[in-house]
Amino acid sequence: MSLNVFLSSIRNNPWVAPVTVMALVLGALLAVSLKTQQSIRSTSLPSNRFSGLAAAYRDQQEQLKMANEEISKLRERTTQYENEMASASEKTKLLNEALQEAKFLAGLTEVEGPGVEVVLQDSKKRPPANSPIDIENYIIHDSDLQRVVNELHAAGAEAVAINGQRIIANTAIRCVGPTVQVNGIALSSPYVISAIGDPDTLVSALNLPQGVLTDIQAIDPNMVKVVKKDKIRIPAYTGSLVFRYAKPVGTTASNAGKEEEKSAR
Amino acid sequence: MNWLPVIALLLGFFIFYFVPLALPSDYAPYLSLATLSGLDSILGGIRAGIEGKFHVDVFVSGFIFNTLLAALLAYLGDQIGVDLFLAAVVTLGGRMFLNLSLIRRYYLTQWNLSRQRDAERT
Repeated sequence: MSLNVFLSSIRNNPWVAPVTVMALVLGALLAVSLKTQQSIRSTSLPSNRFSGLAAAYRDQQEQLKMANEEISKLRERTTQYENEMASASEKTKLLNEALQEAKFLAGLTEVEGPGVEVVLQDSKKRPPANSPIDIENYIIHDSDLQRVVNELHAAGAEAVAINGQRIIANTAIRCVGPTVQVNGIALSSPYVISAIGDPDTLVSALNLPQGVLTDIQAIDPNMVKVVKKDKIRIPAYTGSLVFRYAKPVGTTASNAGKEEEKSAR
Repeated sequence: MNWLPVIALLLGFFIFYFVPLALPSDYAPYLSLATLSGLDSILGGIRAGIEGKFHVDVFVSGFIFNTLLAALLAYLGDQIGVDLFLAAVVTLGGRMFLNLSLIRRYYLTQWNLSRQRDAERT
């Protein structure tokens, strides 16, 4: 019965059949179009969210900075409490001395002393046209920073920091996009490497023939600046210090380890 | 009232919605414009049909050519840096509103007439 209605409508109106066929095609077009748009929406970031995300990113960075400041404040206060506790008895005093020594060696305290400041920055020059030298050579890489830090340690540097990020035992220096991350914090050129040690030894180690700075200086002498300093302040490490896999071995070491972990937190 | 085109539209939509076929996202704007142009052609065909001015050759060629032209226009606009697809959107959009209002008026008049006839009968 309903089929008869359709048949009669086709017979009475000559336009219904072609329009129906084309409507089928249009339905297909609509479906493919909708699916394509859906896949775009699910795979790519809509451009109208860029500004919001940028603002959120800035906000998070601000919060991170504040949180880091709080960490260093709280660690200072922990040290104060430890020192107060030390006055309780001779035993606690000795324990605290050992603890403070360990924290100092681990890089958890701010330190001061003579040393050098090495400033490495991206060159403002560009390679001349048709030059075989790659533009990559005109910027400072994570490997440059690693080699300078390594050389400083080899020459007896006792505390090293890059742009205020203290280098400790498990610090990583690596390249992430256009920035270099040290302790997971993104840094950019110019990189100021401060090191505490004997200034003359450190400077001569850096200036060894075919040393770590030779290649960079050959490209552009302005990329490197080494200054001896009578007094450098190097901040304490403020990053995370939770060890999840490494466990101390032996009873005495395990006690010391627990103490250290507590104070670090 | 003729529901066949509407049924066909839904049928085509659901068949192709579940067929795993999607265009690369680069072609998405052209496909959208082609779809819009197809919609305009269908509405134009219905309007011509109810006005008794329908020609199959005009309708089918119009559907195919307008769809291709709209996509081509958008592509050309992208190549020469002019938002030519806006021209297609404005033209097609305006015409679709016009055609829809005429179709709506036609069926409204028919509905009113049939109601009057029913009233006279009783």
